[in-house]
Amino acid sequence: MSRSQNRNNTGATQPFERHFTRIGCAALVFLLFSCSSLNPTQQEIPAGEASAFLPRYSIIFIIHGDGAYLFYDPDGHAHRADEEALGGAIRVAERNPQAEVFIFHERPRRHAFLFFPLRDGKFYYYRGGQLLARESYRRNQGSSRFDPEARLYDRFRTAGQPRPKRFFLYFGHEIPEFDGRGYDASYSHRTFTVRDLADGLELTTRDTTKFDLIVLSTCFNGTPHTIDTLAPYARTIIASPDNLHRSYFDLQPFERLDVGLQNGDTAVFARAFARQAFDRLSEDIQTTITVAVYDVERVQGFLHTVEGAYDHTLTTLKEQSPGFFEHYDCAEDTAYALPNMSEGVDVFYQPPRFGRLRHKENHSGWECWKLPKKSLSKQQL
Amino acid sequence: MSTPRLTKYSPLHLIEKTTMIKRAAFGVIVLMFVLVQAGNAQGTDNIQAYFNDTAIKVKAIENPVQKRELLDQSLQDMSTALARVESFGLISNDDRADLDRFKAILQEYQDELAGRNGFERVPDTQLNAFADYVVQDMQQADKTISISLVAALLIVIIIILIV
Repeated sequence: MSRSQNRNNTGATQPFERHFTRIGCAALVFLLFSCSSLNPTQQEIPAGEASAFLPRYSIIFIIHGDGAYLFYDPDGHAHRADEEALGGAIRVAERNPQAEVFIFHERPRRHAFLFFPLRDGKFYYYRGGQLLARESYRRNQGSSRFDPEARLYDRFRTAGQPRPKRFFLYFGHEIPEFDGRGYDASYSHRTFTVRDLADGLELTTRDTTKFDLIVLSTCFNGTPHTIDTLAPYARTIIASPDNLHRSYFDLQPFERLDVGLQNGDTAVFARAFARQAFDRLSEDIQTTITVAVYDVERVQGFLHTVEGAYDHTLTTLKEQSPGFFEHYDCAEDTAYALPNMSEGVDVFYQPPRFGRLRHKENHSGWECWKLPKKSLSKQQL
Repeated sequence: MSTPRLTKYSPLHLIEKTTMIKRAAFGVIVLMFVLVQAGNAQGTDNIQAYFNDTAIKVKAIENPVQKRELLDQSLQDMSTALARVESFGLISNDDRADLDRFKAILQEYQDELAGRNGFERVPDTQLNAFADYVVQDMQQADKTISISLVAALLIVIIIILIV
């Protein structure tokens, strides 16, 4: 190659590099501006309509998706538990003409161009079966975990009489009772515990009475501590004391509350919901299935009796955290196997089809922590 | 004034070469970052996919002897992969404890399949259900066995090499 050709080639690339740099900068500026705008989907609600619609039902869904939520159905198809739950929540919202529905989907944090954090919460607001708002928000804003969700709830909720039936449903992994680090895969230093959930519920019940029903579609949250912590905010709680498959509780009973809750008896509805959830899981799930319905008022006696024992266990575990700690049925511990243990608790239970617990015939509805021994044999693990 | 010669060691050539090296290095860094990001989500997902693939294959086989052999071999391959990852010395003590627990769970599955160690042998008619049980139990164990990204990726790589 001649010297003159080399000189021409070097010179010819410079305008291209400048052009490419300009395009790159323009794209970056566009991205920054697009990330900073809310760009919500929101319909204008005419003033007359806003005051005319008084929902009979108010439903809040919080769906945690910032973690490992992949599962396979019996046909081998992959699903994401949070996306499935979101689909169910949207169906509930669309099929309830007398409800207002708040759906919060907590998603993994992603970055544009590897460095610019995108909004990681998605909010949907339905009223009368219609989607009126859809917004993205940042989950790590505010002093407490659910500050962003509480702000959105306050912005959109319908105030007025008569007070609607109120429901709260949480979908996700087991909500920790202590420590709580790493619950959000995107925020390794953030913590989330049952106490944080209770604080979030406090934000939505400031000027109203309790939730008529709280549903925890999680594993291992049917415990004395969790039920006791959420008791001030609910009349009835549904939870799974043991493992819960990632297909979660079936939401179909919520899809027409004007039919399913015609007589207004939430306790009867809760039991029917738990029964249906259990039956659906029993069709395909080979592992343990436990669905418990807690009458908050009627379980108070048992909770007060065992509070000291359970708190002692939690204190011991906090001192040893982090670590691996097992759960077991509280009925296996004499400190909890009391005459009033079953009072106020309806339990639907199926043992695993295989494994060491396949012959366990029933479950008390209360799950406890097994304090670790100093050394464990391989069989005890 | 003479024109600079573009020889192998001329300043102009070196400048061009340095720029190309910087670009290549930047590209490698970006690629590694993307792969780690993808791996963060897919490390444990791939382990689950492995058991799901086994379940699909088991259900596609009619002969119960072959079903049982496939299940057992699949569990053994995963155990072997875990043992090799532990032997590398690249993982933390926390990961080592989690892998020990993982291996213990796999051993229990194999024991139940064969009817050892206090288990009743899984009947031929329930091998498909047992395959589903392993998949579903592993999804739940996934929450209590929180191995690091490095360990998860190593397991996936070794499984690929074994299978």
